[in-house]
Amino acid sequence: MRETWLLGKRAVAEIWKLPAATLPTLFIPLFFLAVNIGQVSKTYGPDTPFLFGQKYAAFQLPVTFVFAVSTATSGLALVTDIDLGYLDKLLLAPIKRSSIVLGRLVSDFVRGLLTSILVLGLGLAFGVRIQSGVGGAIVLVLLASLWGVAYAGFAQFIALKTRNVQTTNASFIIFFPLLFLTPNFVPFELLSSPMREMARSNPVSYIIEGLRSLVLEGWKPQELLVCVAVILTTMFVLTAASLRTLKTYGD
Amino acid sequence: MTAGAPAIIASGLKRTYKGGVEAVRGVDLEVQRGEVFGFLGPNGAGKTTTVRMLCTLLPISDGSASVAGIDVRSRPADVRRKIGVALQEIGLDPLQTGRELLTLQAGLYGVKGPKAKERAGELLDLVGLTEAADRRLKMYSGGMKRRLDLASALVHEPEVLFLDEPTTGLDPASRITVWDEVRRINATGTTVFLTTQYLEEADLLCARLAIIDEGAIVSRGTPEQLKSQLGHDVVRVTLPDGHPETVIPLLQGLEGVDRVVSDDAGLAVYVDNGAASVPIVVRALDEAHIKVGAISISSPSLDDVFLQATGRRLEGADSANDKATSGKGASR
Repeated sequence: MRETWLLGKRAVAEIWKLPAATLPTLFIPLFFLAVNIGQVSKTYGPDTPFLFGQKYAAFQLPVTFVFAVSTATSGLALVTDIDLGYLDKLLLAPIKRSSIVLGRLVSDFVRGLLTSILVLGLGLAFGVRIQSGVGGAIVLVLLASLWGVAYAGFAQFIALKTRNVQTTNASFIIFFPLLFLTPNFVPFELLSSPMREMARSNPVSYIIEGLRSLVLEGWKPQELLVCVAVILTTMFVLTAASLRTLKTYGD
Repeated sequence: MTAGAPAIIASGLKRTYKGGVEAVRGVDLEVQRGEVFGFLGPNGAGKTTTVRMLCTLLPISDGSASVAGIDVRSRPADVRRKIGVALQEIGLDPLQTGRELLTLQAGLYGVKGPKAKERAGELLDLVGLTEAADRRLKMYSGGMKRRLDLASALVHEPEVLFLDEPTTGLDPASRITVWDEVRRINATGTTVFLTTQYLEEADLLCARLAIIDEGAIVSRGTPEQLKSQLGHDVVRVTLPDGHPETVIPLLQGLEGVDRVVSDDAGLAVYVDNGAASVPIVVRALDEAHIKVGAISISSPSLDDVFLQATGRRLEGADSANDKATSGKGASR
């Protein structure tokens, strides 16, 4: 635990020391938010049933949360450690190997919190109201941050498996179909049939739906439970894959 | 570590990579406590692979090893508590300062809170980096990074220190600084296992050494023993017309000649008495109408030991010896 904390502190410090690793990841989600709102907000006015009296920005905001925290930053930092030989130094220390992966996840959580608070602030500036209130806004930020931690496991796994900076960086591409095969523009019911089936089988859809329920409808236990379950399952599976890969690292 | 037990024992150590490449083929080693042991060999000889196995970074394919009296295979975590390692690739985080790196390193070895900072300060002082302590490592020179890496291997006062080519890529001044550090560390009782491809480094620092080539140890002993095995003097003969191998049988049977080895540069004739043998060698070559470019006499060097053991000279040996100088000087 102490080792995880020490390595977590180091990883969190990297956020300040290397802002260039975090700031660009915010550009694309914020760009999409602005473009999507600009293009669609006149089509879907506040009287649209699925907007529950809010602007289209409220419908889009959860997508921005998910997009903004789903980054390969942590994997890139890990693969840089591998590249520079610093991972060898950590592997030579009398610490649990799991602390190397878990320490990185600490920084993913902190980065997720910062990013989510920024996105929330922007949403409020766009006139979005969080229907579930202040408590809902806090849960929204926490769930988005936890999803950031869960998703970070993917880039970490790729980093440890390939030990290659380019491949780890490219792993971010996989998120694009995952994000767009969702009810990101309109609800499930308005998607075409094949698209709807694909969206229903995509776990990211349920994270967006859970976050969206907090923004548009208030406290909806079922949506939130499914959202939490997807986040925790993804976190467990991807972190376990990273830990397993690190355990046999060098074999 | 058990009193009197060797610091490192390896028996039949093997490492086979995926695809069947045998990087280390049955290495036997015994390094005594408190000595500086050299592991000399060219690039790709198996030095780094051996070190990585001994310090638990790489699984052992076959054979056994113990470090500080602890079995490497069955108790790797315990081995890590006893060893310090500075690998050839300097493993530093460029975003950290020297102080941050050492404080974290101390923390990972169980030194807590203010004591970790204190230990970092001591080590920075020890390697002469106090002034640069709060600079980010990306601002450090190669020599400073190497010294900091050495310091980071010492945070927990290890019993055995592995140094994998600690001076490769360093300028002559930095190289001498690292040599001084190694001597100082060893003087405190730490066993040092040092791999190098530089003959002079091995000659200057190591009480004993083993020469590894193509994954196997080809010679071992003290530098003096290894050199004396070759005879007292070496007569070097360059042959402008080439084909030194054809001349070997001619010189092999001459009076006072122990052995003759050829390389790209010509011949190395190992003799009991250089001054007495030169006229004999020259006469024999003249009678056989073989043109001689230059002829010289010297004492055997570790390069000669390597040549004798492997049939070729050590890559980079000359450049290293040319660049690095010290009080003791080169052996030839």
